[in-house]
Amino acid sequence: MKIHNLVTLIICSLICFSSFSQAKKPTLMVVPSDVWCNQNGYMMEFDNQGSTIRIPDYKRAFQENAEVLQVISQINGMMAERGFPLKNMESAIKTMESNAVEDALRSSKDSGAAVDESPIDAIKKAAKADIIIQLTWTVNKTGPKKSINFNLQGLDAYTDKQVATATGTGAPSFSAETPVLLSEAVISHMDNFTLSLQNHFDDMFENGREIIVRIQKWDDWDGDLETEYDGEELTYIIEDWMADNTVKGRFSTTDATESMMLFEQVRIPLYNDKGRAIDARRFVRELSKYLNDAPFSIPNKLVMKGLGRATIILGSK
Amino acid sequence: MKLKHVILSVLFIGFCTSVNAQWKKNKANEDTKIWRYDLECEGIAKQGSKLVKVWSYSKNPKHAISRGMKNAVHGIIFKGYAGGGQGCTPFAALVSDPAMEEKHKEFFDSFFADGGAYLRYVSSATDGSIAPGDRLKISKREYKIGIVVNVLTDQLRKLLESEGIIKSLNSGF
Repeated sequence: MKIHNLVTLIICSLICFSSFSQAKKPTLMVVPSDVWCNQNGYMMEFDNQGSTIRIPDYKRAFQENAEVLQVISQINGMMAERGFPLKNMESAIKTMESNAVEDALRSSKDSGAAVDESPIDAIKKAAKADIIIQLTWTVNKTGPKKSINFNLQGLDAYTDKQVATATGTGAPSFSAETPVLLSEAVISHMDNFTLSLQNHFDDMFENGREIIVRIQKWDDWDGDLETEYDGEELTYIIEDWMADNTVKGRFSTTDATESMMLFEQVRIPLYNDKGRAIDARRFVRELSKYLNDAPFSIPNKLVMKGLGRATIILGSK
Repeated sequence: MKLKHVILSVLFIGFCTSVNAQWKKNKANEDTKIWRYDLECEGIAKQGSKLVKVWSYSKNPKHAISRGMKNAVHGIIFKGYAGGGQGCTPFAALVSDPAMEEKHKEFFDSFFADGGAYLRYVSSATDGSIAPGDRLKISKREYKIGIVVNVLTDQLRKLLESEGIIKSLNSGF
């Protein structure tokens, strides 16, 4: 009986250890680029106080264009085969819409109260992923000859950096249909795309996840970032904390004023002291606690956006 | 007496043939030992594989042909190729670190042995026939032979991942 318990304990420990030793997996989603949507007429226009704003109409593109579905489906299939299934944008849009309808109709059985949603919550309701795979292709025609110019860009949703790419023009053909040329383009470019993505992940495992950290203050807070504690300004205190807690002290102070600070290229470790995977929110949570404790005693609010962006607003929750 | 001579002659011829075959095999292995070959893309293959032309060098054209498949698989694993015509894009080698060949010598020696596992990942794309322009005599004693083969790159990559020689895209997550 004792051996049985011991074996169970060892198995449980191994499961726990293996679950903690996995870094947080970024989500990826293929999105048709603005250029492609514009060239193919899938744009919506709004009049914003006299100026016309044009934004892509993804829903109509998915409903009307079979080629975009074919390309996305093929990319999704090839990424799933590499153990990295992607979020499907069309499904994400549908889920979002059905959730919105459900939330609007839902009410409490006892009090009849509706689901609470702040304006920020409403804005955050969008199809999103940690890495956006932006897809563009154009069909080049010279007489009867056709070729495909294909471009895949992997963009980090938080740092706005291009982390993977594959681009090129396929062989011209007199007879092949566009879907066939598109299929060939995907097959010939995906290896290079996954290779550059692999390089990005290798860099992440070696040098930490790259995130953005912002520090702001509520306008009713009586202090600011130039307030001194033991003769040291708060901006430098925060910078020192960043230097002590980032991987190899890597970060850039992009902006610093009395009311805000912006840190870019902040490299955070993938795991904390307990071996648990961490993201921007978990990392900045430690800074939040540091500022909340003595001698600073600054109450603050922590706001996150996905795996790679977190903001601390000083003054109150 | 005559019967004895006949039997001895048959045994002698059999021995010589066997020795000759072994010598040819060793010769072919020597030719490919240094992995001297060129790899080029021959077009877009079906999903999960690469259509390549591999140019092998040998004093005997037969050896160059027989070693082509081995060279092609080796090239996909360790060399890759530049892009080119027919819509080909550059292909980076599956193993980016050349030192891995030495590090996993035991595996690769057995993998690339005659009749080894490499044969599962390559097939001839032209039923073994060689285009006239792909059989070149580059010096008095040396031939350069090009054969077109299909290499199952996705399956090859999975094998290398399972052997721990390369990392998979989702490793660590």
